[in-house]
Amino acid sequence: MERQIINKKKRVFSVEPNKIPPSEVFTRKYTSLLVPALKKLNMNKNSSQVNQLTVKHEVDMALALSAQEFAWSRFLLQKLSSSNNPTTTTSSSSNGIRIQERSGKEGGHEDGEREEKLRELQKLLPGGEEMNVEEMLGEIGNYIKCLELQTIALKSIVQDTT
Amino acid sequence: MLEGLVSPENLSLSYADMSVPERLKWLQQHQQQEVLSLSSNDSPDLLQILQFHGSNNDELLQSTFSHFQMVGSGFGTNYNMGFGHSHEAMDGCISRTSSCQIHPPDTMGVMLKNSEENRAISLKNKRKSEVKTREEEKTEKKIKVEAETESNISNKEASSDTSKETSKGASQIQKLDYIHVRARRGEATDRHSLAERARREKISKKMKYLQDLVPGCNTVTGKAGVLDEIINYVQSLQRQVEFLSMKLAVINPELELGVEDLSVKQFQAAYFTNFPVVIASKPSVMVDVPLFPLDQQGSLNLSVSNPNQTSIDAPSESWETQSQSLFASVLR
Repeated sequence: MERQIINKKKRVFSVEPNKIPPSEVFTRKYTSLLVPALKKLNMNKNSSQVNQLTVKHEVDMALALSAQEFAWSRFLLQKLSSSNNPTTTTSSSSNGIRIQERSGKEGGHEDGEREEKLRELQKLLPGGEEMNVEEMLGEIGNYIKCLELQTIALKSIVQDTT
Repeated sequence: MLEGLVSPENLSLSYADMSVPERLKWLQQHQQQEVLSLSSNDSPDLLQILQFHGSNNDELLQSTFSHFQMVGSGFGTNYNMGFGHSHEAMDGCISRTSSCQIHPPDTMGVMLKNSEENRAISLKNKRKSEVKTREEEKTEKKIKVEAETESNISNKEASSDTSKETSKGASQIQKLDYIHVRARRGEATDRHSLAERARREKISKKMKYLQDLVPGCNTVTGKAGVLDEIINYVQSLQRQVEFLSMKLAVINPELELGVEDLSVKQFQAAYFTNFPVVIASKPSVMVDVPLFPLDQQGSLNLSVSNPNQTSIDAPSESWETQSQSLFASVLR
């Protein structure tokens, strides 16, 4: 019964045209991944060893696993699994495919600005630099959504424990 | 002949002063102006034709025709197809959603004959001019006709530019038509410009979507500003996540399992009230559950971590059946 209520509410809210995770699904997945992972962290290591990086790693991993339908999550997973050092989501890898924007409507320097910003955006998005501009712009949309949900999840987790 | 009549009157730049061809040209100029002030969009070639022969001025028609011919030969049948489209555009003229079929390139003569349909065509001219101007700016290729029309339409570009935005919506809706129209421009690399235009429109559509997504983007105009806002927003979200995970690392030892279900309820609340939401009080979130005093919840939380059945059972009655099952499954 309660699930029905939840699902109804989900229907009310998820109306975006692009691929947007139903917030319900994402948050369920996220919390169900993160919380046990954190508990495992607690159990496997002594609490003194739980440092911020490992937690961040778990956080990122949970994010990536909860949003596997998106390209950026695959990139994030790659980053996380390939390197044992947990990478933060804010890490910026400067190598990448430059955005190729031909000078168009607004004149040269304005376009240069736009390119700059698009490049910056690419850096923020995990795997953004391997995408072209349109793809990246689409992925940024659901990345933002997932980040929001993740923030809410983390907030609630933190709040529950304090 | 008229000059003889006019000269004694000695009016400066009066209508009667001009010779016939001059007058016609003047008429055309005015027609062009009024034509361009109207808003519509269609094949750009039509505009050129109108500019040159808004009236039945054969001389100008012929010159235009020759120019078009040159261009046509240069760019192949696409250009003629463009005329075919224009012709059809004239026929189905007023509706903006005129379909864009490619017609066999017979149409030059037909086009020229239909110059009297200015009024109907004029509805479309603004968009045409915009397409034209946009394409002119975008592509460096100099079509000879463009060179000819440059002087005529240079003063119109200002007016057409302002309406670019207004017609952009329409143009996006009729994207398919647009693509066909652009193909008919007969540019040498029309495929490329076509694809580029489609790509640009996709990108701008996504930008619009992002603008809706990111709070506070509506006030900013221009792509750079929107992108700025998006970047700031993403960065702030990532910082928040980092900060929270740091906090989490600190308090990790006290983590307990009841969190999962609580979070779900809070997400619901968060989405009711729009992001960002500071999740204030848990009891207020749970609509179906009677209000919990916070300290009781605190004790509940702590009690969950140690598998103490009895301490959980009492408060668990107040939870939904879902949480009950969860706790039960966890504790077993």
